[in-house]
Amino acid sequence: MSVADAFRSFTRASAELAAVVPPAETVLAPSGVDELAAVMQAASDVRARVLVWGGGTHQGIGHRVAPDIVVSTSAFDRVVAWEPDDLTLVVEAGAKVDTVEAMLADRGQTAALPEWGGPATVGGIVAAAISGYRRLRYGPTRDRLLEVTIVTGDGRVVRGGGRVVKNVTGYDLPRLVAGSFGSLGVVVSVCFKLWPLSGGSATVAVDDPVRAAETLFRPVALLETPDGAYAYLAGTEAEVRSEAERVGGAVTEGFVWPDPPSGETVWSLRVPPALVPDGIGRLPAGWSFVAEHGVGHIRCAGRFDPEAVAELRGWAEEMGGAFVLEDADDDRIYETVDPWGTPPTGLTLQRRLMAAFDPAHVLVPGRLPGGR
Amino acid sequence: MGYVTAEAPTRVELATCVQCGLCLPHCPTFRLTGLETASPRGRLMAMSAVLEGFAEVDDVFVEIIDFCLGCRACEAVCPGLTPYGRVLEGARAEIATQHPTPSRRLRRWVLGRALATRGFVSAATAVAAVVQRLGATWILPAAVRRSFTGLRPLAGRERWIGRSAEPVADPLGTAALLAGCVMDPWFSSVHEATVGLLRRAGYRVVVPEAQTCCGALAAHDGHASEARRMARRNVAAFAGFDLIVADAAGCSAHLKEYGHWAGDVGGAMAERVRDVTEVVAELIADGRLPRSELPRGPVAVQDPCHLRHAQRVVEAPRTILRAAGYEPVEIDQDAMCCGAAGTYAILRPDTSLELGRRKADQVRAAGSTVVASANPGCEMQLRSLLGPAYRVAHPVELYWEAVVEMAGRVPAEVDR
Amino acid sequence: MSLQTDLIGLLGTDRVLASGLDRYLYGKDAGVYRGEVTVVALPETTEEVAEIVRIAARHGVPVVPRGAGTGLAGGAVPLGGGVVVATTRMNQIFEIDAANRCAWVGPGVINLDLSRAAEPYGLHFAPDPSSQSACTIGGNVANNSGGPHCLAEGSTVNHVLGLEVVLADGDVLVVGGKAPDPIGLDLRGILVGSEGTLGIVTKALVRLTPNPPDVRTLLITFDSVEDAAATVSGVIAAGLVPAALEMMDQRMTQAVENWLGAGLPTDAAAILLAEVTGDTPAVEAEADVIRAVATEHRAREIRLARDEAERALLWKGRKSAFGAVAQAAPDYYLHDTVVPRTKLVETMREVYEIGERYGLTMMNVFHAGDGNLHPLMMFDASEPGALERVHAAADELVELCVRNGGVLSGEHGIGKEKRDLMHLMFTPVDLDAQARIKEAFDPEGRFNPEKVLPAGSRCFDFGRPIPEGAWI
Repeated sequence: MSVADAFRSFTRASAELAAVVPPAETVLAPSGVDELAAVMQAASDVRARVLVWGGGTHQGIGHRVAPDIVVSTSAFDRVVAWEPDDLTLVVEAGAKVDTVEAMLADRGQTAALPEWGGPATVGGIVAAAISGYRRLRYGPTRDRLLEVTIVTGDGRVVRGGGRVVKNVTGYDLPRLVAGSFGSLGVVVSVCFKLWPLSGGSATVAVDDPVRAAETLFRPVALLETPDGAYAYLAGTEAEVRSEAERVGGAVTEGFVWPDPPSGETVWSLRVPPALVPDGIGRLPAGWSFVAEHGVGHIRCAGRFDPEAVAELRGWAEEMGGAFVLEDADDDRIYETVDPWGTPPTGLTLQRRLMAAFDPAHVLVPGRLPGGR
Repeated sequence: MGYVTAEAPTRVELATCVQCGLCLPHCPTFRLTGLETASPRGRLMAMSAVLEGFAEVDDVFVEIIDFCLGCRACEAVCPGLTPYGRVLEGARAEIATQHPTPSRRLRRWVLGRALATRGFVSAATAVAAVVQRLGATWILPAAVRRSFTGLRPLAGRERWIGRSAEPVADPLGTAALLAGCVMDPWFSSVHEATVGLLRRAGYRVVVPEAQTCCGALAAHDGHASEARRMARRNVAAFAGFDLIVADAAGCSAHLKEYGHWAGDVGGAMAERVRDVTEVVAELIADGRLPRSELPRGPVAVQDPCHLRHAQRVVEAPRTILRAAGYEPVEIDQDAMCCGAAGTYAILRPDTSLELGRRKADQVRAAGSTVVASANPGCEMQLRSLLGPAYRVAHPVELYWEAVVEMAGRVPAEVDR
Repeated sequence: MSLQTDLIGLLGTDRVLASGLDRYLYGKDAGVYRGEVTVVALPETTEEVAEIVRIAARHGVPVVPRGAGTGLAGGAVPLGGGVVVATTRMNQIFEIDAANRCAWVGPGVINLDLSRAAEPYGLHFAPDPSSQSACTIGGNVANNSGGPHCLAEGSTVNHVLGLEVVLADGDVLVVGGKAPDPIGLDLRGILVGSEGTLGIVTKALVRLTPNPPDVRTLLITFDSVEDAAATVSGVIAAGLVPAALEMMDQRMTQAVENWLGAGLPTDAAAILLAEVTGDTPAVEAEADVIRAVATEHRAREIRLARDEAERALLWKGRKSAFGAVAQAAPDYYLHDTVVPRTKLVETMREVYEIGERYGLTMMNVFHAGDGNLHPLMMFDASEPGALERVHAAADELVELCVRNGGVLSGEHGIGKEKRDLMHLMFTPVDLDAQARIKEAFDPEGRFNPEKVLPAGSRCFDFGRPIPEGAWI
């Protein structure tokens, strides 16, 4: 049976979607979990390479996958259960980050998903383990993921975790799925721990973000861009006022988030938090960046320069971090530079874990570090 | 075979341990070894194992139980109120009966008989004083050599037993002082301070002639019948006194447990027993004893286990030192045992030394050359490890010096 | 050569225990199960752990890691013999990196010792299980331990940045590090909470959290358990996540007070211990919110801890509660389940009903803010049939919590205790997936066998029907 034949009976994605995804034999948008499971089962049967597609916002991360089929989660966009009084939210993977956050904000809550969400889906953010700027206060996305349901490479519907804020029942599948880039399964729904939005918030210009990181207790974020550094404060209005005074500098009410950096290539520099100033200093001239003090993350973008990239990556890896390509205007760049850098140790174990969920190795083959 | 004596740990006592493990970090031997078998929980489980017939009082059991210092730090943190000190003595009594090695037989005689015999202690002290004066410690067995160097000068000390002294202030009552087996011949200046302070506060002080060693060392080592005999003798000797004071923490702790060792009359006596630090701290608080205005600098406070853990007396020595003008410096928030632990220093010199060194390091880190310790064993341990550059003294001694200085003279000569 | 001889060859006689009594003492943790130990090994280095694992593999025996043995679910209790690897001697703090707010520590480091060591830098290790004065970081990692202050700070998994782990083949793997978001699958997350079934942690890189500039601790007294529970739900619903929100019912308060003498109100039906941390204006405002919600729910008295000493005393009472239970009955059985916070009131009501139905005294002390219940049943094991009644009631409790949208365990782990209840929460397919994770790490089932997953979990063959009851 040809690949096309195997998937003939399944729901196609819209033409608009088919136009933006990488070239593939078939672009599907399964209408429900059962159909998705059947799709994956079929994919395993015919060994069809599958690329999972959410909002497409973070598809630039990882090795390029030449898929036989693209599976979109666009049909999975419902809010399954929102318990505002319990601060938990169960939502399907295809729901848009912006829609979810707008809904939560109406009741004064947040899932602390990335602020630049746009068309990004919840499932994509989880699969890529992308955290927003507020992680300094609320932790990375993987810390707020309570439950996950996935459809594995061979079409099993597997749920892990639970819908309560504290849970040690069984292995922590949600954490394994976070950052797995679809290699273990297609995320179909997740449960997030929510946080209440504070009454007061402010964006305060700071001269010395490192000092601010030391003096402020639990700031929401401490960001630095080529235009300057800002502390993001939240709490009661009195608290925000007093903290803002302590930091000193121009105060803007509410949060004013920087635009994510853009350029020919977009990178994620990850180093121990104290090395952020050093990392900023090492960026190639003319690159734009948003540096997260206290976190150890600098998202940066600019013209691709293989030598500068190699130097920066060498330093980051020596410091125990990584320098990861997150996007490039031209796919050929992925052929000249490994998007991940030096793969981590324990690749055999990683491979075995993937095989546990995707025995036929059909899900995003080769996308992860080491080309797994 | 299980347990054979009436002293054995009982099911009810052992059932109070729910193995929660909160005692573990407070146990010095667990801290040193990381062994469950060297932890209070492990020892209690071993005692249960014998009770339930899973184990015998054999070499393994003896090692587990004898490795314990008996510091009772575990008891102070046990939310289940497990009577650890009691069951430990019970287990040791079983060992002494079921597993009587030559060393233990010798100890039964020394701790249970010789210490209760004034003549023997005097003779031994006289010999020791000669050794000390000649510096001939080499003739001593290796195990006691280090402890020996922690002794105060022995020569020329007057004994207090049998004496009494009248108050030098408005009369407050009569206090009876436990002379102690070695306190009297070896640490009589502590008695002098105790008697002086009590008199100064208005007590008539009596040191009853008929008393004997409190029996703590015999009890800790499992020589129960000897411990009972000593307890009964002291109950008789101290009958009729409303306040019974001991100025060695190990002794006051044991006297407070006479309810176990001498029945109802023992219990009645125990209720009247106070450690000298408790009494003096209260007299200071009541204004019956003065506070010095003269600052004397820092003093490192070493909490004897049987004061802090067994009696839960923590503040009193600090109050006293402050009243003397000292500034108490904390050396160990856990108040872990210094390793002296009665006869432990002699029986297990290596472990004792390791713990002693830790304590000595804590003292050195505190930056004071004066150390206050309310127990003779701890004092000797610290002195032997800190050397002559440090002064180790009982808190009431330090306070008494301040009081004397304030008065500008030694209060009236003690009545004979 | 025998297993014991090989181990002695590696560690010497001091660090290999094999007498009957030694094995008896290591056959139990703080819970109710007793297992069977072949030999106890006390390694001091990663290399020794790796070699122990290889020796065990050569002799075909299981390896069961153990920290301080304060677990309650039987996680460290070997069920079928084997080598108990006690990590208590691996208690070195290798590095405190104040600039990056983290520390590399050995698995045997005691939780509270780490916080004490971090104190000079104004930092602490946030997970604070009630056993924190005794339990080890290795045990915390294995169980993904929680504690009162996990309400705002998250459980252990949120505080583990990296791990060094010995795998089933004796290889040493380091995952994670000081930099965020390590590339590849996040093995840290799956190792934390795996209860020693996937590998043995030999070093952990843990996050250290700044000590709060100010704190308010409130002791709130109620005349009914339901009012207290409703206050908890109300505080969360009011949009406040306090640092801690703990509840104790009357019997428990009495037991604690009897030991501690902290002046706890022993006549109150329930007390809440609420703590907020942060800058002074923040804690003032948050304490006011809690006061308002509590008052609305008929709080009888709201007492603010005056100073650090009183605060410490209140926490000491809370954290010693389990041990204090021993005064009330010779045996107790403690459960650890979680329900959504919106279901606290009705769940608590049913918990007491179950106690009454089985004629068991039910005491409660728990992390109310998380919805993490710790119902505790008092009994006397020597009374015929008592243990059976306790187990029946315990199963009903778990079923109740799952029915109310909760989970089997919030922080104590599954261990042996709840292994056979896993099907209440997971389908055979879910359990099979978990069993495959185990298999990927430990194909021969060397590490802590018969824990976490019920026997027969790995029986689901896709496309074929599952034999009924095979996984029960």
